[in-house]
Amino acid sequence: MAAGRIVDELMIRAPERFNITVIGDEPQGSYNRIMLSPVLAGEATAQSIVQKPAAWFAENGIRFMAGVRVVRINRSAKTVECDNDESVAYDHLIMATGSRPARIPARNQDIAGVMAFRTLDDVDTILTLGETAQHAIVVGGGLLGLEAAYGMAVRGIDVTLIHRSGWLLNRQLDGASGDLLANVMTHKGVRFRLSAEVDCFNGQRHVESVTLSTGETLPCDIAVIATGITPNAELGINAGLAGQRGIEVDDYLATSDPNISAIGECSEHNGQTFGLVEPIWQHCISLADRLALNVRTAYKNTPVATKLKVSGVQVFSAGEWLTNETHRELVYSDVARNTYRKLLLRDDRIVGIVFFGDVRDGQYFFELMEHAVPVAEALPQLLMGRAFCSALPDVKLVQDPVAA
Amino acid sequence: MSSLIATASTSGQQRIEQTTCCYCGVGCGVTATIENDVVVAVKGREDHPANLGRLCVKGSSLHQTQYSPDRLLKPRLHGEEVSWDQALDYSAQKFNTIIAEHGPDAVAFYLSGQLLTEDYYVANKLIKGFIGTANVDTNSRLCMASAVVAHKRAFGNDAVPGCYEDLEKTDLLILVGSNAAYAHPVTFQRIVKAKQERPNMKVVVLDPRRTPTCDIADIHIPLAPGSDAYFFNGLLSYLAAHNALDQQYIEQFTEGFDAALNIAQTQSPSVQSVAQVCDVSAPLIDQVYQLFASTEKVVTLFSQGINQSSSGVDKGNAIINCHLATGKIGKEGACPFSITGQPNAMGGREVGGLANQLAAHMGFDKQEDIDRVERFWQAPNMAQAEGLKAVDMFKAVDEGKIKAIWIMATNPVVSMPDADFVKRALEKCELVIVSEAIADTDTAKTADVLLPATTWSEKHGTVTNSERCISLQKGFLAPPGEARHDWDIMAMFARKMGFAHGFNYRHQAEIFREHAALSALDNAHTRAFDISAMADISDEAYDNLEPIQWPVTQATPEGSKRLFSDGYFFTPSTKAQFIAVKARLPVQAPATGEVIMNTGRIRDQWHTMSRTGTSANLLSHTEEPYLDVHPKDAERFGLSENTIVELSNRGARFLGRVKINTAQRPGEVFAPMHWNDKYAASSRADALVNPFIDPICGQPEFKHSPVKIRPHPTTWTGFLVTTRDIKPCADYWAKMTSDAGYRYRLADTQNVDYGQWLKAQFADITDWQVLTDSANKTYRAAGYIGNVLVVVFNACVGNDMPQEGRWLDKQIGCLLDDVTRYAILAGNEGNGGADEGAIICSCYQIGENAIKAAISDGCASAQALGETLKCGTNCGSCIPELNALIQLIHSE
Repeated sequence: MAAGRIVDELMIRAPERFNITVIGDEPQGSYNRIMLSPVLAGEATAQSIVQKPAAWFAENGIRFMAGVRVVRINRSAKTVECDNDESVAYDHLIMATGSRPARIPARNQDIAGVMAFRTLDDVDTILTLGETAQHAIVVGGGLLGLEAAYGMAVRGIDVTLIHRSGWLLNRQLDGASGDLLANVMTHKGVRFRLSAEVDCFNGQRHVESVTLSTGETLPCDIAVIATGITPNAELGINAGLAGQRGIEVDDYLATSDPNISAIGECSEHNGQTFGLVEPIWQHCISLADRLALNVRTAYKNTPVATKLKVSGVQVFSAGEWLTNETHRELVYSDVARNTYRKLLLRDDRIVGIVFFGDVRDGQYFFELMEHAVPVAEALPQLLMGRAFCSALPDVKLVQDPVAA
Repeated sequence: MSSLIATASTSGQQRIEQTTCCYCGVGCGVTATIENDVVVAVKGREDHPANLGRLCVKGSSLHQTQYSPDRLLKPRLHGEEVSWDQALDYSAQKFNTIIAEHGPDAVAFYLSGQLLTEDYYVANKLIKGFIGTANVDTNSRLCMASAVVAHKRAFGNDAVPGCYEDLEKTDLLILVGSNAAYAHPVTFQRIVKAKQERPNMKVVVLDPRRTPTCDIADIHIPLAPGSDAYFFNGLLSYLAAHNALDQQYIEQFTEGFDAALNIAQTQSPSVQSVAQVCDVSAPLIDQVYQLFASTEKVVTLFSQGINQSSSGVDKGNAIINCHLATGKIGKEGACPFSITGQPNAMGGREVGGLANQLAAHMGFDKQEDIDRVERFWQAPNMAQAEGLKAVDMFKAVDEGKIKAIWIMATNPVVSMPDADFVKRALEKCELVIVSEAIADTDTAKTADVLLPATTWSEKHGTVTNSERCISLQKGFLAPPGEARHDWDIMAMFARKMGFAHGFNYRHQAEIFREHAALSALDNAHTRAFDISAMADISDEAYDNLEPIQWPVTQATPEGSKRLFSDGYFFTPSTKAQFIAVKARLPVQAPATGEVIMNTGRIRDQWHTMSRTGTSANLLSHTEEPYLDVHPKDAERFGLSENTIVELSNRGARFLGRVKINTAQRPGEVFAPMHWNDKYAASSRADALVNPFIDPICGQPEFKHSPVKIRPHPTTWTGFLVTTRDIKPCADYWAKMTSDAGYRYRLADTQNVDYGQWLKAQFADITDWQVLTDSANKTYRAAGYIGNVLVVVFNACVGNDMPQEGRWLDKQIGCLLDDVTRYAILAGNEGNGGADEGAIICSCYQIGENAIKAAISDGCASAQALGETLKCGTNCGSCIPELNALIQLIHSE
């Protein structure tokens, strides 16, 4: 995805300037990975999410090496070596190798039917198995796990989601909103085992059941692991680029080698790696500005709002999400409507937003948070949203501290 | 000027009825429009002499208060619904048993100025002539007993000399202890208009408070509470000293002048001495004295500020003395004028339905009167002496001397002084019968037997207003449920007690004719009350009675505007009597750290709110009990605007919201008299009133109670809007009526878990919407049943009231869509839903904010505001407030 986008950004800025080669190990070209869940749920087609088919590259004078994997970078020669034995020279190399699903500490996780939810291929596999499968297990109650579970549940499969934490989306929601989410998902046909882990996948060649850390065994024809991602940083690290979990980049996405940049999930900025789409778009803009225009637009690691792509379930989370003693916490809850809205304030500024069920004006609060607007005047109905906060200045008029 | 506010569409069969308003003593004629047995509109009757088409806000809302959710529809015995026979059999038997064992003085009636003359007549006849005791008193005792005795002492009979027209024709109007702008709005507006038309007409107001009535005053005398008699004694001295007496009138038509002048000169020899006692600047007093002396046409209009006093009779006579001394009586535009509070206090006085009267201006002081009435009634057990007056009556109930009491159409548990004492006395009384239209008044709750009575629009009979005008209050709707007329209830009861004759009335007209005949009996111009010309009125003529001022005799068949024009008085000597008045201050002076509590009416409520409290419009002007406090006192006692203050006396507490008001004198506070346990947790002002009474007439000193004062130790405040009539569990609460439910303001002294607090009171609700704040500064919640909004609760820590929007009142009880549901905890519909602020114009529901905006936009007069917003164009009682807002905005 990052690769597709950086190409666009470069072409917009300087369509004739670069001679671009795109090398990728997936066969389809560039597609919108965040739309995999709707494809799984049958709410979008696989075709509709492909952004750049192979033909597009040809039409735009870009060399596209699909299904090809780079195995080594020769920094001194400024070439990359591919698994098809081809060597490609570069003036500037952009690494957008992405990430791969994290492994879990469960036994026997390599048998058939145990898989990730990461690529269009994965979706294909799930759908094929799903035609006959009766019981599915999803491991991981994050965004991706929930979307996978939902996607299978709407296809009539009996799905149980296993999550290590005590509540779902524990990196975005607090316990109360996580419970509401479980409640809503239960009504959509997903069962849950919370505070549980998979101990072992059972089966000879194909998974038949899973045994949980609690001792419980659940039948299972298909298991999807969605417990997180690991940056595909090895290619760069092995080439001597700096980095711990990902390839280290500065505010302008440059790696420790000035001729190499890294963007997206393979990168690491100020110790942070990435899994959501918004910062990756910012990476692309910053890098394209630098390479194509020689303009230095700093990438800034700002909070990112999370949205869950499950039909009829609205989640908006940004900034801090767990209340502690440094916060003033405002909560609106309407259990009958499965609505929960929490704002965390520190020094009269919003520092956290956790909305579930009714996420109206999430962006408005996000801006109030970004611009650190004092909100005391609008309390306590602040939570109700922009229409009820006439006491506050219009955020559009607030001077952007970044630009200032 | 006419007014018409319709609340229902005017389709279908309409009829028009002429009747009389049931509220104050002005006695306005009302034209009611009825459609499908519902009063859909009321307006002032153009040809009624009391109001000439005007109506005040209370009168304009008569149709809005015709249905009470708490209407009593069936008799109840010990809380159980029973038949009329069961209820009255029990009551009559019990009366008979008690009388057999303890004599007739062990029973009592406590009546009301809300009863019609015919009701009064039957009650008076039953208890004085047949049961055999004069233990019959009335809430009029709390209202004008002082004026009654003052009249009797001066004129020989209880008769108001003048008429309303005199208020318009006079050149100097002195209002004493009268906030007519609020208490008698229509009369006040006539005065306002007269003054507009004749700017030379002078208006003087004597009142410790600068009331809205002072808006039209040329001079306001903010005299010390209760010092009025010094003022008028001083005036008498002044008149004598300045050669302003009418010697000829004094000699020809009066007696006792020298003694009266003597004591006046001794006590109040100079303007200086008066200024000292009254605590008012001498030049101001001198100005008023000069005006009185130099003006021929003077009316002194006096009301509760004079009457509700331990020396009210003397104050009344001190006023009358000045008018007699200058011959300013019985003339157009010149008289002393007692304006009464209630719609038919005067009718009660004419009937003689008080413990110290006999009947029809006859008293217990003449045996021939007693014998005459006994003969007329063919009374088997004629009472021979005066009975117990209100305060003593309830004392006798407490002491067990009175074992059965029948209370009709009044709420003494709220309105009596030392009202907690009255409540306790009733709770232990052997038999309490209460006739009421409303099932759950504070007094009804003490009843063993509760009898459903008819009310305005159902009752049919006559009332007399403050200018002796007898009007028909017409019954044109069928009584709901099993409600019956008071006279009918008493007549049934009398028959059940065994009085076979004397109570077989079939129609109100029969009672009225008997009443008229008694007024005529042996009355050779010896008693002022004489309606002999009406003694043979036909049923038809009665049912269409046109307003007429008594006396109505062969000589004056069209009635009489004024009395005493010929200098003839109803005393043995036929001369008016000067009374030597030794002025007295109130019984108890405040101790250190105490303030003087004054009580009175507010603009839009009537008495104990049983009727007016059900109208959201009427409550919107002043929503909760409050206390007017001078800024100096606020500072001295640490009271902030809009916080809760606590007054205490006699073990009772009054809680109300602080209104800092320079209209008060320092050291004196004002509390409204209306609130009661049905509308507030602890705001019965009269419970703090000492039972000090005038030794002659028994009227209590409501206007002067030294009380302790302190800020209420509020820990949190809040409001509840709900469909339910509840008693919130909080130290302070006040209930307001909205169209579909109630609004409560709350203040508590205990920190609570708001969620638990709320859920404990709405235990059946499981569908809650909550807005919490970890700083614990605010809490909001809303409860639903089946998506219908049942309750909204907002709380704030400390003394800052959470902001209320009237928008919530419109949502309560409604099936809400999700858009509206979301906004409930915001309390408004978001952008565009501006708050109206306090309602100033109750008729058209115009809020303070809209009015202020219009003033800022250029409306510089009440008239201009009326043209823009319609406010003040119906009843006009908000005009003083509109003017105040104009001044406020212009001064800002």
